Amino acid sequence: MKNSPPKVFLNFFRWYCHPKLVDHIEGDLIEVYQQRLKKSGEKKANIKFIIDVLLLLRPGIIKSINRSTYSLNPYAMLRHNFLISLRAFYRHKSSFFINLVGLSSGMACALLIYLWVHDELIIDKFNKKDSQLFQVLQNFHRDAGIQTIEGTQGPLAVALAQEMPEVEYATTVVPPHWFSGKGIITFGDAHLKASPQFVSKDYFNVFSCNVVQGDIRNLLPDINSVAISEELALNLFHTTDNVIGKLVQWNHQAFTDTYHITGVFEKMPANATAQFDLLFNFDAFVAKRQWDQNWSNSDPSTFLIIKEGTDMASFNNKISGFIKSKNPEAESTLFVQRFSDRYLNGSYDNGVPSGGRIFYIRLISIIGFSILTIACINFMNLSTAKATRRLKEVGVKKALGAARRTLIWQYLSESALISFISLLLALGVTFMLLPQFNIFSGKNISLEFDFTLVVSMGVIFLLTSILAGSYPALYLSGFNPAAIVKGKLNTSIGELFVRKGLVIFQFTISVILIIGVLVVYKQMEYIQNKNLGYNKENIITFEMEGQPLEKVESFRTELKKIPGIIHAGTFGHNLTGDHGSIELDWEGKTPEQRMNFANIEVGVDFIETMGIEFKEGHSPTMNGNPESQIILNEAAIQIMGMKDPIGKKVRYWGIESEIVGVTKNFNFESLHEPIKPSFFRVYPVMPYFIVKIQGGTEANTIQQIHKLYKSFASGFPFEYKFLDENYAKLYVAEERVSVLSRYFAGIAIVISCLGLLGLAAFTAERRVKEIGIRKVLGSSVFGIIYLLSSEFTKIVLVSILIALPVSYLITNYWLDGFSFKIQLEWWYFIGSGFFALFIAWLTVGTQVLRTAKANPVNSLKSE
Amino acid sequence: MKKYYLGEFEEIVLLTIGILNKEAYGVSIKNEIEARLKRDVSMGALHTALIRLEDKGYIRSSNGEATEERAGRPRKYFEITALGKKAIAYSKSTREKLWNAIPKIVLELKGIR
Repeated sequence: MKNSPPKVFLNFFRWYCHPKLVDHIEGDLIEVYQQRLKKSGEKKANIKFIIDVLLLLRPGIIKSINRSTYSLNPYAMLRHNFLISLRAFYRHKSSFFINLVGLSSGMACALLIYLWVHDELIIDKFNKKDSQLFQVLQNFHRDAGIQTIEGTQGPLAVALAQEMPEVEYATTVVPPHWFSGKGIITFGDAHLKASPQFVSKDYFNVFSCNVVQGDIRNLLPDINSVAISEELALNLFHTTDNVIGKLVQWNHQAFTDTYHITGVFEKMPANATAQFDLLFNFDAFVAKRQWDQNWSNSDPSTFLIIKEGTDMASFNNKISGFIKSKNPEAESTLFVQRFSDRYLNGSYDNGVPSGGRIFYIRLISIIGFSILTIACINFMNLSTAKATRRLKEVGVKKALGAARRTLIWQYLSESALISFISLLLALGVTFMLLPQFNIFSGKNISLEFDFTLVVSMGVIFLLTSILAGSYPALYLSGFNPAAIVKGKLNTSIGELFVRKGLVIFQFTISVILIIGVLVVYKQMEYIQNKNLGYNKENIITFEMEGQPLEKVESFRTELKKIPGIIHAGTFGHNLTGDHGSIELDWEGKTPEQRMNFANIEVGVDFIETMGIEFKEGHSPTMNGNPESQIILNEAAIQIMGMKDPIGKKVRYWGIESEIVGVTKNFNFESLHEPIKPSFFRVYPVMPYFIVKIQGGTEANTIQQIHKLYKSFASGFPFEYKFLDENYAKLYVAEERVSVLSRYFAGIAIVISCLGLLGLAAFTAERRVKEIGIRKVLGSSVFGIIYLLSSEFTKIVLVSILIALPVSYLITNYWLDGFSFKIQLEWWYFIGSGFFALFIAWLTVGTQVLRTAKANPVNSLKSE
Repeated sequence: MKKYYLGEFEEIVLLTIGILNKEAYGVSIKNEIEARLKRDVSMGALHTALIRLEDKGYIRSSNGEATEERAGRPRKYFEITALGKKAIAYSKSTREKLWNAIPKIVLELKGIR
């Protein structure tokens, strides 16, 4: 035939048309086409043909709506597979439950870990210009290495915005954590604690902060203006309406004054690190601290919005020497880091970011993935092991013509079914555990089914189905049907190898986890109990707010009269934070000895209350000029190389002080840091109280302090903290990882043992006849036990051998982050190995014992 | 009530099959309708109607010869079944009943006759 209708459309028609109809309708189409061809030519016939084909595309003619048996087949197969799976579950209840418990707890762990990791990853990512938001950090080059701090010079932001074309906006911020404590805001009779933050004008162009009332372009017009959060407004005025213009009293260190409200803003979202209730003008900060106006002091933080498309490496090079260009005496260099990266990468090694929290996130993620893998391995092992039980099924199916692909689908759908059930269970478990999990992870996570959660659940589900189902699916479907039906099936070497290898993998991970948990636990114990050089037991601290210093002093005198109080002192700087450092000068100082000394400002009796011991000398005598006397620690004297320091002079800021005492070394800040050289300056009175209480009388004594406090500062809240709480805060990250890893390791071990139990049961069942014959021929129960358990022992021993070096490397790496750390003892490793072996024996033991003790007659007579 | 259900187009197709008497297959039905009623019939509409009629049991089909002009595809011939005959008879009688019930004056006023 010369002329034929357009091929593409004909094929299209053949594709969509119901197979029963295709023949004669196609015939009709072609016949009409031929008629049209004669009557009106090829072109018109083609167009009309196309129109006909398109008009035929309707229900009744298309395949999918048809009523044929063709489409019923997959559905029937699916139903069949489902039925077979359910029957298999029902018949092999024990392995079904092992799989279900293993997979669902593995998935629950994975889900919890996902939620935690997700919550960590979004911290500080709420800003609209997140990708352009950078923080300026300062490096100090010292003999001991480069020290990185987040404090920068007051005028830096303005200068950078003016002189660097790459900078779109720059703002100076004094964040809430810069201050040692909160302040008190007063309106009428209401006194509330609140966290302040000082910001310069461009703050709102840099950070996303919603201003509900007031003019965002000029929210803080003068140094007496303040903006408050909606929450604070509600607590203070019980409304957010018409609060602008109201006068409030603010009591906080040097910034105590009357302020007028010029704006109301929404509180920062929960995933912001800086949580503040009040915003002040940065000029108010500088007004009280004139020295922050020059280029030689570093206090506030500087944040920049960098123009898009800027090459950050060259920008970093450009600003590196910026401070030096302003202040020739300065030695520090600058660099910028993306603000939202700082939460996870907040550690600095030699002046460059070097990890931080991200280490724990990776660690926990790896643990989560390992647990899920262990659970999947259980499924793989048990399915292949019990394959013999289902061989007949496979053989018959194959003999009846089932394609290999069909069988693969069958086993994959079986694993999908069980992982779906597990996922539902895991969701339930996660939901129930979440409140507990929130408590010890210090989070406020809720199970919200948003897009990312659903997608990640889908991924976990698919991953589990494929991971758990692929090996049995490929393995079972590969059998030769003739061999199966005849009953000849040799388990190949490769198969045994894979199964053993998987168990070895499981136990290797378990042993690594046991060792890891042990080392983390030991290190935490060491930190908690280490002799810090000061005593942190039974000590409380609290703030005396809004009171003149004379009143504070008389309060201290009254306080000392309470019988349960051993010591009562005051302080400005605590021992758990960084309060800046000063360079000291002394006679005979060499240029190499240039070094910053940590500055600790305290009140009278602080050193005694903390139980810090003097090596020589004594506390300063209060002679009216507190700056004339100074106390150094041993580390400082050592660096200065001073002999007989008592009576010698040191100078700083043009002040000359006499060394009156040297204390023994004590740890301050966290044990991640080495002991720094430091000095005390002792003033008669400081705003924070520190009180040592007689052990056992805490409740009563604190009540009396409270009463006394009320009579001195009525209306102000009395909030105290135990010093060990502050101390514990330094190791929150480690403590959480310690607790989390303990739970997860426990779960991993339980899941591994479940798998081992299943395998042991299976082996025992398969060898039941062999054992019967052995017993008949005179083998002892012990001999049988040895025979059965030696195989498992070998597997576990191999995994211990692999696990030891790996865990040594990992734990060593983790401990490197601490300046004060435990030594890794050999018995941590050997002990953990034996522990794993012991657990494995225990798991296999009951099963083996039952088999070994069984009466051989029972196993041999049935055939 | 719905003893026999026939759509308007279905009825036309059924009647045409009757007219063609044993020579009714897709193209001939299409041509016949187009010639007699001066209306375009798309292949899609026709075949859907045929499938529906066959489902309802009003027509039955048998495969015919394959010809060259159909590129070797067989023709499918349609025939009215006994049920189909009852259906058109029922349809005709209901219409007639309704026609007869219309007062003459209405039709005259409208000027239809």
